[in-house]
Amino acid sequence: MPLRETHIVSGAQTKFGKLEGITLREMFAEAVDKATVDAGIAKEDIQAAFIGTFIPEMLVHQGHTAPLLVDYAGLRGLPATRHEAACASGATALRAGIMAIESGLYDTVLVAAAEKMTSVSTNKATEALAAAADDEFESSMGLTFPGVFAIAAVAHMQKYGTTEEDMALVAVKAHKNAAKNPLAQFQKEITLEKAMTPRYVAWPLKLFDCSPISDGAAAVVLTNREKAKKYTDTPIRIVGTGQASASMNLCDRTELTSFEGSVRAARIAYEMAGLTPKDIDVAVVHDCFTIAEIIATEDLGFFKPGEGAKAVREGVTAMDGDMPINPMGGLKAVGHPVGATGVKQAVVIYRELIGEAGANQVPNHDVGLMHNFGGTGATCVVNIMRRADA
Amino acid sequence: MSERPTIEQYQKFIQERDFHVFRCKKCGAMIAPPKGVCYSCGSNELEWAKVSGRGKLISFTVIHVAPEQFKDEAPYFVGIVELEEGTRVTARLLGLDPDQPEKVQLGMPLRLDYETGQTGRMYLGFRPA
Ligand SMILES: [Zn+2]
Repeated sequence: MPLRETHIVSGAQTKFGKLEGITLREMFAEAVDKATVDAGIAKEDIQAAFIGTFIPEMLVHQGHTAPLLVDYAGLRGLPATRHEAACASGATALRAGIMAIESGLYDTVLVAAAEKMTSVSTNKATEALAAAADDEFESSMGLTFPGVFAIAAVAHMQKYGTTEEDMALVAVKAHKNAAKNPLAQFQKEITLEKAMTPRYVAWPLKLFDCSPISDGAAAVVLTNREKAKKYTDTPIRIVGTGQASASMNLCDRTELTSFEGSVRAARIAYEMAGLTPKDIDVAVVHDCFTIAEIIATEDLGFFKPGEGAKAVREGVTAMDGDMPINPMGGLKAVGHPVGATGVKQAVVIYRELIGEAGANQVPNHDVGLMHNFGGTGATCVVNIMRRADA
Repeated sequence: MSERPTIEQYQKFIQERDFHVFRCKKCGAMIAPPKGVCYSCGSNELEWAKVSGRGKLISFTVIHVAPEQFKDEAPYFVGIVELEEGTRVTARLLGLDPDQPEKVQLGMPLRLDYETGQTGRMYLGFRPA
């Protein structure tokens, strides 16, 4: 049965990138203000807050972030809890918000997420990111995140003939979309030649196959069916949500060319929504690396296994293609402040579905899907949303 | 060695160049890296077992940008190796040229070996058989 109650009535993000001179709590408060007061939603209406941050303990030496952040944003007193699932922290916070509304416990809640990554050295940030993989059996051997996705890429290349150029085309598309997005970290197109620059991070993945280290925050307000129209004429209903876990270790996966957590979470979400991949007009997928986008579009059922690269080559996933993927530029070019990404994805789908995505607006926008992925794919969340009038 | 196997001892065996895996007492499934239960049958009755050391390459990468502690070792291979006994492990790949990764064949037979890292730590490794 599709979810009935949960509606997104506002959504906003800060600019993503290296935000000099702005701390974690300040960017969080900026996103919250944009999603509440600036959208005509009084903070007094918010009854609980679900917060996504990945690893502020290592990045800004701060734990217990939920009360700290809501306090700074003027929401002191609310029940506020942090959700951590590496790069899927934001989407797991969103799911907690969905459950809170569906259960009827609250009428209106805030889901907000933030990560400040650029105040430490790249080495330190990389070390913090590595904590999302299994330290005991994989990281301790020198396997890095790009390495994990490189191993998946090699398997995909071998099984389906996917090429380094196919992956580079994902980066070219991401930058092309982000060039029109004023909130993106990289607002500049790149050529295929540049994307192919052989600066290997983890062979066969090169510099331009990887998402950057970023700062940023995002927030959405969720409310129930009854209240939704009070806040906006265009509420977006969340009709399906799925989450799954998988092994942290790559070696424990039977399949390397597909992420089983994505497949499982998608199946749950589609079933709940009563929809199929064909019903989706626009999707944001977790493109932490270019190969991850190709595999995600297969795991989500948009393309058959092995045909994700072909879809990129033929422009199917372009902003004006039949199945637009990451129309605002994805993690790759908009940036990836880890904990914030899942909520930012919800903001992107919200803006696309209400028709306010500006220069990044896709032509068909009744139904959207977001796919958020944690670490090596050990957590995966898929949410399906539709315009309440669609 | 009839005591319940531990992760600490699993790592110690590798450091001593004497790789052991967990084995399910009930169904005999080989388990590495360690898990608290056997995913083949659900039993949590586990014991130590030796393996033949033969395996094949499932996939791999060459790490160029390495974390601080592995920096001096880069570029290096990390691969997924399926042991003859069925289970898969993540390991360093040895005896291959990191400048020519395109020449490495998936499915190639490998044999167990070890490599000492810059820090003196021993890695589980495999080299072409
Ligand atoms: Zn068993």
